[in-house]
Amino acid sequence: MSRVPPGSNTVTASASELHIPARRSELGAARRYAGEVAEAFGLDADGCYEFVYAVNEAVTNAIRHGASDEQGMIHLSIVADADRLTFAVSDRGTFAMPVMDSAETSEHGRGLALMASLVDEVELCIEPGGTTVRLSKARASESARARAG
Amino acid sequence: MRSFYIGDEVQAGDAGCPDLAVLALGGEVDYEVSPQLRTRVLRAIKAGRRRLILDLTDVTFIDSTAIGVIAGAVERLDEAGGGSMAVVCTHEKVLQILEITGLDSVITLYRSRDEAVSALALAG
Repeated sequence: MSRVPPGSNTVTASASELHIPARRSELGAARRYAGEVAEAFGLDADGCYEFVYAVNEAVTNAIRHGASDEQGMIHLSIVADADRLTFAVSDRGTFAMPVMDSAETSEHGRGLALMASLVDEVELCIEPGGTTVRLSKARASESARARAG
Repeated sequence: MRSFYIGDEVQAGDAGCPDLAVLALGGEVDYEVSPQLRTRVLRAIKAGRRRLILDLTDVTFIDSTAIGVIAGAVERLDEAGGGSMAVVCTHEKVLQILEITGLDSVITLYRSRDEAVSALALAG
């Protein structure tokens, strides 16, 4: 994967894809994939952790609530632009909007809030044929700026 | 990254606290392994533990499903007549996640197991 220097006009520096069986035992592989790409892109250690965390939540959601394709797979991709890294996970299911439960002792409903806190943008694309969740994190992200005070 | 493990339940505190126990886990706690965590925590509550400490000192990653298990355990303790639960954690990113989810408002966080044991032993 090549890295494009900041300020480049290239729209897409690189893109990669990973197709994994829709099984929870594949989550580690999804995290490693996201971590390697984030590191190669040049996110700092905190940025990498946050990106990987959000990816793990999105993939967990796809495995949990989504439906795999006829081969039992879900599809992950990461596109690196000059200034941001965008992850997408697609499944064939209908997105189940989490029930917002305000009780802090509730077992479910934290994934989306975590994703939104850790990356710069979360986009849900719900279509008749399936659901795609997109997460993007800027090279100098809002959360990094917030950490820097 | 270290893979997930969950240790045997450890009795803590003095003989006056038979209901106080510590469960230590480590590595990456995700949706693949959170059912194991649920089983172990519920087993401890069923066995009469009412003061539970989850030692996450060696945990490097904890996802929303595992946080849900911990939050659910607080509810189970309430249903069982009340109890207290504490989490030991020093990993900065894991602490950040616990704060984002608000878990730190229903569970007391400690930096060391000794500190957690002392606090819960007194809480009896």
